[in-house]
Amino acid sequence: MKITRYTKVLKKDIQEIESASILPQNGQDCELEQNIYVNEEVLKQVFENCSDIVFRPILVNGQTKMLLIYIDGLVDTKILDQVILKPMMFEGMPNGLKSVDSIGEIIQDRLIAISQLKTVSKVREVIEGVMKANIVILTYGEKQALVADLKGFEKRGIEEPSAEISVRGPRDGFTETLRVNTSLLRRRIRSPRLKMEPYSIGDLSQTDVVIAYIEGIAPNSVLEEVRQRVKRIQIDGVLESAFIEEFIEDQPFSPFPQIQNTERPDAVCASLLEGKIAILVDNTPFVLIAPMTFWTGLQAAEDYYERSVYTTFIRWIRFVLINVSLFLPSLYVAITTFHPKLIPTNLLISIASAREGIPFPAVIEALMMEFLFEGLREAGVRLPKPIGSAVSIVGALVIGQAAVQAGIISAPLVIVVATTGIASFAFPRYNLGTAYRMLRFPMLLLAGMLGLYGVAISTIAIVIHLTNIRSFGIPYLSPVAPRIPRDLKDVLFRTPRWNMTRRPAMVSGEEKMRIPDGQKPGPKQGGETK
Amino acid sequence: MSLQKVLCMILIVSLFFLTGCWDRTELNDQAIELGMGLDQAKNNKLEVSAQFIIPSMMGMGQSGGSDSGKPFFIESGTGKDTLEAVQMIQTKLSREVFRGHHRVIVIGEQLARRGLAQVLDNYSRDPDIRLRADALVVKGSSAKQVLEASSPLENIPALGAQKEHVQSGGLGDRSLVNFLIAGSSDGITPILPVIKLIPSSNNPDQPNSKEFQFVGGAIFNKDLKLVGFLNNQENSTALWVANRLSKQTITETIPQGNGNASLYMSKIASKIKPIIRGNTIKCDIVLSGDGTIQENNTNLDLTQPKNITLLEHVLEKKTEKQALQIIKKVQTQYGSDIFGLGEAIHQNNPSKWKVLKKNWLKQFPKVQVNVHAHLTIKRIGLTGPSLQVKKNEIKK
Repeated sequence: MKITRYTKVLKKDIQEIESASILPQNGQDCELEQNIYVNEEVLKQVFENCSDIVFRPILVNGQTKMLLIYIDGLVDTKILDQVILKPMMFEGMPNGLKSVDSIGEIIQDRLIAISQLKTVSKVREVIEGVMKANIVILTYGEKQALVADLKGFEKRGIEEPSAEISVRGPRDGFTETLRVNTSLLRRRIRSPRLKMEPYSIGDLSQTDVVIAYIEGIAPNSVLEEVRQRVKRIQIDGVLESAFIEEFIEDQPFSPFPQIQNTERPDAVCASLLEGKIAILVDNTPFVLIAPMTFWTGLQAAEDYYERSVYTTFIRWIRFVLINVSLFLPSLYVAITTFHPKLIPTNLLISIASAREGIPFPAVIEALMMEFLFEGLREAGVRLPKPIGSAVSIVGALVIGQAAVQAGIISAPLVIVVATTGIASFAFPRYNLGTAYRMLRFPMLLLAGMLGLYGVAISTIAIVIHLTNIRSFGIPYLSPVAPRIPRDLKDVLFRTPRWNMTRRPAMVSGEEKMRIPDGQKPGPKQGGETK
Repeated sequence: MSLQKVLCMILIVSLFFLTGCWDRTELNDQAIELGMGLDQAKNNKLEVSAQFIIPSMMGMGQSGGSDSGKPFFIESGTGKDTLEAVQMIQTKLSREVFRGHHRVIVIGEQLARRGLAQVLDNYSRDPDIRLRADALVVKGSSAKQVLEASSPLENIPALGAQKEHVQSGGLGDRSLVNFLIAGSSDGITPILPVIKLIPSSNNPDQPNSKEFQFVGGAIFNKDLKLVGFLNNQENSTALWVANRLSKQTITETIPQGNGNASLYMSKIASKIKPIIRGNTIKCDIVLSGDGTIQENNTNLDLTQPKNITLLEHVLEKKTEKQALQIIKKVQTQYGSDIFGLGEAIHQNNPSKWKVLKKNWLKQFPKVQVNVHAHLTIKRIGLTGPSLQVKKNEIKK
């Protein structure tokens, strides 16, 4: 109804259209008109006060009017000049063609040398095209517009990921540009089975989100679950992949991360090959990987590039250290204040002599020091680099040495806190480490109130919680609980690659076999006989 | 939240109030007792002396210095039983007595002769007291004097006493628990290590200072009364028979080689095989040991297997003789089954034991004992014959 009224008005004279009141409120849904002036007016209304949007009218062959609309700064103006403006303005329509032919088609087929080009016919699509850094070309007498991809905005180059550094392994990391990120994946998995489903999330931000998976390897149930959860997100803007993560995780209030994030394309590809699903979000280098298990939080990408024996050793060191980071302060407090019988006599004498004259109970001492340590860490993370070193000096000297010398804090406790601090940084995944660092405090309180009993209670509570978490239907502690013996070889150990013949049973879909059996290398692998 | 979850929460929260370790004591509110002495006091009372450490004197490692004074002190109290005496000690202390770490219980000879049955209950009842401690009998002086003596290497004398016991081949931290086990079973009577105070020659500043020396074992009877002492050699042989020795050195003159040789054994065991025929009880005891020749003053060339066999044979004979001697001595003089022959019968022939155990102590002296030693020389050290022996004198 509104369209008819609209065209009637336009038939008189386009110059008469002045006020916005004539335009429909939801004019974005209507079709493009044949009259380019109408379209221009409509779009100018839409883009009112958007100073970065450029309307560039040109005349082809001196008669056919065309209009280019794009956002300044998001398109490559050099190419725009060479590829669109120059041929159209100077060369015009190729000879032998009459204006009866659809000019749009001619432009599309012959005039514009741009790889990605599509035709749209709705105002809304035009607006979307402009907003997504394309160039929209409107032609007189055409009910369709051309959307040309000429993205050319400033972007960061591919750099080594700063949060996940490895000694051996690829040094490229994701960037803030989705296309670059998908290309990094595609370069590693050159198979049409690597699918990348596009989604657009955020009413205002219209952020591109891509769900990547390998067809046949990713289980359909999990994939469908991921799709559904991503689709139901309604949000104004997505600024980081964490926005998506918080909408799709299973247990929103758990301290443990249930979706892995990484900056490393190799880590994402490894997960895809296992049957996991990656969610790439534009404007952030952090890619989400689901489902996540507890143990993936303890695996670094480099684990698979180093020798397997060494990696197994390192993994066990990690297992020990994560427990140290959680339990050490609580155990120290519980044992020294409730159960001094458990300490060997000589150690007890040392601790007792160090504690002599300390004004605080051990719990308070430990809480104070842990609190200060967390404070130091937080201060160090946020501060600019030149000042950052000052924090560590203050921390080491003032808190460490001076407090002990002044007899306010006992030396063994400083050792305990320092050891705990080191241990808490041994997590390959930062976000799992934060969970442990946080849980240390309630455990410390319980240990101070109830002794080993309190430590036991909080341990049981944590274990119950961990066994209850599901990440997209996958038990968080699998393959340890429920136990899948075959998969333990990538959890408790890291067996050589030729031995990992199957994909993780819980995570992968129909295609369980990863590599054929019997590839164990040896002196005779070349086939020569002696 | 479902009803089930609420119930679970209530249950978990109530756990906190149901029980817990409400006995929190900071380390600097505890007086850590490392050694204690039990002595006979007047009026049938017990005198308990305890050695406490002074944490501030322990120093932080090297910085403390040696002349800052002794890092321990001794308090004593008397009472009808141990706990009453400890309560009396407590009245003199600003910190709570913490007995969970004591390593040594020294028992005065006088008290030991009177019997320990009345004073030991506390050690098996109180959960705070650890059983892994060393019980020692003092020969000739009171337990308190031992605690006051010094040990040149250890800054806490109590630890020194225990380590001395370990070095002598005994099972250092298990003598209390072994004593309690033996004291409560029918087939074995307890034996405890013995120390003696001797004047110290290491401390010229204090002419009266004493140190202690390990001198053997104390035999107790069924009523846990001290009945006699064994010297060091007898003690270790007796412990060997009872399978409670960890290392042993034996030295013997070898007539065939014009000299003596010493065998150090670090792996030793014994096996008691009782044979009951009618009214006679026979016990075959097999003592075995593996070790190294650590001294060879004979002219035997030990690279020759026949010499090794010879040496083994002589040493076995000596061991058998010694063992038989001590067993006979204990059978006739004390009548106390410290070797656990009764236990061996109990394990081997439980039905017979039921009959025997009623008057086992009468039977024990009549047991016929056979000792076989089975020693193996595993290593001979770095040289075959002694380097000091001239070549033509070496016996191949």
